[in-house]
Amino acid sequence: MTMANKKLAEFFAYSVELESEAMERYEELADVMALHHNDQVAQFFVRMAQEVTHHLAKVSDLAKDMELPELKAWEFNWPEAESPETASYEALHYRMSLRQAMILALENERAAESYYRQVANSSDDAQTVRIAGQFADEELSHAAELECMLQELPQNGANLREEDDEPHMPE
Amino acid sequence: MSTEQLSIAITGAGGAGVISCGELLLQAWARLGGRGLLRKAYGPQIRGGESAALLKLTERERYTASSNYDVVLALDWANFSRFEEEIRLGSDTWVICEPADDLPDSVVAAGPNILRVPLAELAAASHADGRENMLALGLLGSLLGLPAASLCELSGQKLARKPQSYREAATACIERGANEKLDCQLQVPPLGGKDLWYLSGNQAAGLGALEAGIRFVAAYPITPASDVLEWMAGGLEQLGGHLVQAEDELAAINMTIGAAFGGVPAFTATSGPGLALMTESIGLAVASETPVTVFNVMRGGPSTGIPTKSEQSDLNIALNGLHGDAPHLVLAPLDIADCVFTTGWAVSLAQQLQTAAIVLSDQFIGQSTAVVSEPRRCENIVPAILPALEEGDYLRYKLTTSGISTMASPGDVDRRFTADGLEHNEKGTPSAKQSDHQSQLDKRADKLADFDFGEDWGCTSGSGSVALLCFGSSSAPVAEAAALLTGRGVDARVISLRLLAPLQVVALTDTLAGCEQLIVVEQNHSGQLFHYLKGQMDFQQQVHSYAMAGPVPLNPQSIAQRVLEVTGK
Amino acid sequence: MTDVIKLKAKDYKSGIKPIWCPGCGHFSVFNAITKAMAALAISKDDTVMVSGIGCSSRLPAYVDSYGFHGVHGRGLAIAQGLKVARPDLTVLAMGGDGDGFSIGGNHFIHACRRNVNITYIAMDNEVYGMTKGQASPTTAMDWDHSKLTPHGPGVRPFKPAALALASGAPWIARAYSGNPNQMAKLIAEAIEFEGFSFLHVMSQCITFCPEQTDWKAIVHEREEPALVDADEAAKLFLHEDGFQIGLLYSEQRATWPPTAVGAVTEGAVAQLSASFRV
Repeated sequence: MTMANKKLAEFFAYSVELESEAMERYEELADVMALHHNDQVAQFFVRMAQEVTHHLAKVSDLAKDMELPELKAWEFNWPEAESPETASYEALHYRMSLRQAMILALENERAAESYYRQVANSSDDAQTVRIAGQFADEELSHAAELECMLQELPQNGANLREEDDEPHMPE
Repeated sequence: MSTEQLSIAITGAGGAGVISCGELLLQAWARLGGRGLLRKAYGPQIRGGESAALLKLTERERYTASSNYDVVLALDWANFSRFEEEIRLGSDTWVICEPADDLPDSVVAAGPNILRVPLAELAAASHADGRENMLALGLLGSLLGLPAASLCELSGQKLARKPQSYREAATACIERGANEKLDCQLQVPPLGGKDLWYLSGNQAAGLGALEAGIRFVAAYPITPASDVLEWMAGGLEQLGGHLVQAEDELAAINMTIGAAFGGVPAFTATSGPGLALMTESIGLAVASETPVTVFNVMRGGPSTGIPTKSEQSDLNIALNGLHGDAPHLVLAPLDIADCVFTTGWAVSLAQQLQTAAIVLSDQFIGQSTAVVSEPRRCENIVPAILPALEEGDYLRYKLTTSGISTMASPGDVDRRFTADGLEHNEKGTPSAKQSDHQSQLDKRADKLADFDFGEDWGCTSGSGSVALLCFGSSSAPVAEAAALLTGRGVDARVISLRLLAPLQVVALTDTLAGCEQLIVVEQNHSGQLFHYLKGQMDFQQQVHSYAMAGPVPLNPQSIAQRVLEVTGK
Repeated sequence: MTDVIKLKAKDYKSGIKPIWCPGCGHFSVFNAITKAMAALAISKDDTVMVSGIGCSSRLPAYVDSYGFHGVHGRGLAIAQGLKVARPDLTVLAMGGDGDGFSIGGNHFIHACRRNVNITYIAMDNEVYGMTKGQASPTTAMDWDHSKLTPHGPGVRPFKPAALALASGAPWIARAYSGNPNQMAKLIAEAIEFEGFSFLHVMSQCITFCPEQTDWKAIVHEREEPALVDADEAAKLFLHEDGFQIGLLYSEQRATWPPTAVGAVTEGAVAQLSASFRV
């Protein structure tokens, strides 16, 4: 593999990891929210997962003839602890509003955009720069869509997360 | 003095070596083809306390405790009162003791024949390291007609790791003792046994378990069960198995469950207090259908009770100690030799039925050593077979006609499941649904209730309109009581239960057909077996309870007496 | 054994959806475990997850391997019995702070001492979550949110790493649920380590300890390599803030049991019964 190809391959490996982690995370979060009967948020996360799937498919397609380096989960050098578009498990609350879920997703998109932008700005491989730039733009447009949707949503009540009942004791 | 049995008590304190004397005597007797039983009694000290070796040489293999002793050899009389309840003398008894010793009042009152022998002096004269117990061994050996050479050989084996001079001293004392002519004639029981074994109930249980396939043991020491575990430790090593000393009984039972989940037949042994600790996790074994065998050597209860004495008071906890509806197996070996069969059978059943088996032995048979014919074995060992995988997911807790589903073990391909104490569905996923709870409860109950346990649920003998019913080690005193009754012209049927849960109600009812009176005999205070049976059976006969707690062994005379009272004879 | 084809982390999930509250740190631990298993290409059929009782003890059912969901506090005993009987298996024990340090405390210290080659993941959220929020042995002295201890436990919490060290654990690490990737690395190392590996995970409880979201700011990564000297480790564990994450201590110690299984003596069973013949 040429040097350029190696750099591109590495970028693709990162991108695949980023997108697939994001997709799996959204699916997991959708599942847990559905289980806790927060259907609005669950469905939103499902849609987010689907969006990411498209993006993942694109990347995979671009990379299909290349041999990508196989890195373990912890061998990726991300800006934060987790990959950029991956929603933190701990940001959730069973009574979170759709608005809060969207804000979370928006933060993810911005983090992803920021990541791709940073790669586009710093890579010395032309192809990588080009593709990373494209991905960054796409993330930006996703973010814009979310911002639009957010404006349609009402503000949250202050005591949104309160519940009258005590927690249950299943075991 | 009957030739059927000869009872000898050897007592002494302060490290006199009384138990060794008794052991060597019995071993030499066995070599000649004689049968017998050795029990031990002692004070609370770990070293230097009072000890008694209680021997019963018999013609037959029905090993009850002696009530009256034909010979009492006292190396000293220190704290003999401790043994008074157990060592009873009569006017026919031969007492051998030091010339200068004062006899205890109870001994004097019995009016025995007293032989004064200067044991200490003779021992000291034989060798600088001479000990009275070896001198006594020679003495008793000669009274029994045992060759001194045999006694010397056996003592040499026992003292193999001691210094040379110590061993020589033993030999010198034995020979000296053998040469001492006593003005005493003993009638010894006939010999003639062949292919005899010499072992304790605890050792026998260990053997039964290993022969049945146990290859993992978790151990926490407790009197009187530690011997089972200690003996198995050596055996397991040779069989490529493992023994783990656990930090407590809670760890022991859970380690056992872990190993069993891994597909390795697993076993632990304990006594009442330990069994109480284990009950939560025995329930886990039942609920998760993980096969385990818990061997409980009963001792005086409740709580710390009387750790060194026997009782049959753990029946209640064995039957009912698990919370929830948790049907499981409870068995009880009938005597020392039967420990081999019953333990092996329990292990085999636990494996087949994927449940917990609690085996109720007790201190009497556990820690007594006996000369027996080659024990019967359990042939019923089930090999593990994993049927072919069917369509779809593997269902660990599949509802089958027998109630028994296939148990996969880690390593088996594509049969992954998570075992659970939580109620679950067929797949093993936790479930709080009534349908799942009902069907799994049915499964766990039916697999036991519908199983064909065959004929070994109990031992029956005799005939007559009065029946004696017991479990576990009570079988010997009950059998002896029946023999006494026969001598009085009263025929009694004897039924000794080996399988207590699930109770074989139909078979037991059939066995009792025609009986008008039934006496349930057991060694506990509250009549645990009596009440259990009353709850399970629809008795056609009058049922009476003979319940006598430890620490003294059941007395066949008293049992026979009770029968006579009940039958009005 | 299954053919070890390259599985991804998600392939190690059983498909059963975890019932933990949204926001629970245990999702991260589950995530990390599957990543570690994928990285090590562990065989599903030869791996067993063992647990006690509690929210974290629900984990085994979520992994596509064999599992044993035992009773409260006894997971470590089950795991050690299993590993001793079946040394060929990869065995992970897991549970919470109540399960592991209260009712399971005795088994914890003895597991550290015994050094059987298993991995123990303790998910510490400083509370009994499953039973509605009681203080645990790692709860702060003045935490007064439980009705059982309305003035706070009033008792100093354990320092699990210090306990582990004193009991003889040769491998001690800490992770944080906010960093599942680093946790995955530590889990992989724990599994590969020959001996009892103890991973103390700070895993927040969103329902009973929502203040634990603050942990994010307090947690700090260990920069230096793991300590190998027990004295230094003792100093560290007794005085640290309890939020240093990474591999903290690692030494080589002989594992237990020392003998290889399966070394059967020819005719051993017959010999054993023959030993009783007169």
